[in-house]
Amino acid sequence: MFFLSLIEHTLCLPPHLLNLPLDEAIKGELETLFLDKVIPNLGLCISIYDIRDIKDGFIYPGDGASTYTVQFRLVMFRPFVGEIIVGKLKSSDANGLKLSISFFDDIHIPVHLLPNPSSLMPNPENKHQGVWSWEFQDEQYPIDGKDEIRFRVHSISYPPIPIEQEKEAKPFAPMVITGSLDYDGLGPISWWV
Amino acid sequence: MKIFHPKAYPLEGSLRTLQLQSSAHNSRVQANAGALTNFEVLDFLRSRGASTDPTRVIAPVAPSEFKVYDYLVQSAVCNQTRESINEFLKRCEKYDLANAEKLNIINIRPSSLVEIDPIIEECEKRMKSEDVEELVEMVVQVLPEHPASVGIERGTDVDKISPDQELMEAN
Repeated sequence: MFFLSLIEHTLCLPPHLLNLPLDEAIKGELETLFLDKVIPNLGLCISIYDIRDIKDGFIYPGDGASTYTVQFRLVMFRPFVGEIIVGKLKSSDANGLKLSISFFDDIHIPVHLLPNPSSLMPNPENKHQGVWSWEFQDEQYPIDGKDEIRFRVHSISYPPIPIEQEKEAKPFAPMVITGSLDYDGLGPISWWV
Repeated sequence: MKIFHPKAYPLEGSLRTLQLQSSAHNSRVQANAGALTNFEVLDFLRSRGASTDPTRVIAPVAPSEFKVYDYLVQSAVCNQTRESINEFLKRCEKYDLANAEKLNIINIRPSSLVEIDPIIEECEKRMKSEDVEELVEMVVQVLPEHPASVGIERGTDVDKISPDQELMEAN
């Protein structure tokens, strides 16, 4: 689920941080910049693992801040295709399921990757939501969100940042994981224990 | 209306810091400098000071890192130790598993045949069913179990008392 990535970044250190020791100040700046942000193709940055190298320390003319070139390692959340992850059900509707692990919410299980055959029982109160259930050997096994769901990562995509969005659209998700439940051992844990 | 999701690519941040330079200088030296098991990330967060009790507000750990810590603490890796993982890696060499499969097993800790099936690709072709059963038993012995599933496994652990005692004496 997690990888280390070695990144080199040119960082401008604002003068009000000059009283702190250098590595603390740089770590603080890097955390504001990278923590909890998605870098395309690298994943979601969880944490700064360590700082390997701090170079340069230039002061550009006309600027009160010094600029450093820093090499550091980040702990990135980037599951590989085929990884099995355990998550909780967030919502389920006609397009499929949405799962979340507490720090990452955009996990989508589309209809064609649900266990086959599955059927949707629409919720009488809310037309867009419903409960999916799997038919196996003449018994119905609903996915109702009482326990955690095991899914396999099918693909990860990083949609580009949109220039415009309509008012009612969901907030833009920079990293989307598509998962699949279509295998023995996947799905709510209570089905297999 | 927010156009940029809070988790968007930090483009504006990089541009702000580099206003005096002509070329953007944010290079990835090595995109993959090593995979981490969930246990290693949990250990790293613990060493920074994350914990589940109320002193967490004072620790130098950001709220987003706490979310990761909370997720890992209630998953199957919360009781793991470095020794148990090393022991598992040593013992699973004879099964010729891919690195991704070993990582999956350590993170998920399957305790039955049906749970290990999606992890190992082409299970029937590569390993005979006795080998798979042996592997599952070895996982259950070597990797500590998830605290929530202790009640379920207690029922089947009656005949496995001696291997558990051996492990406890070794610790």
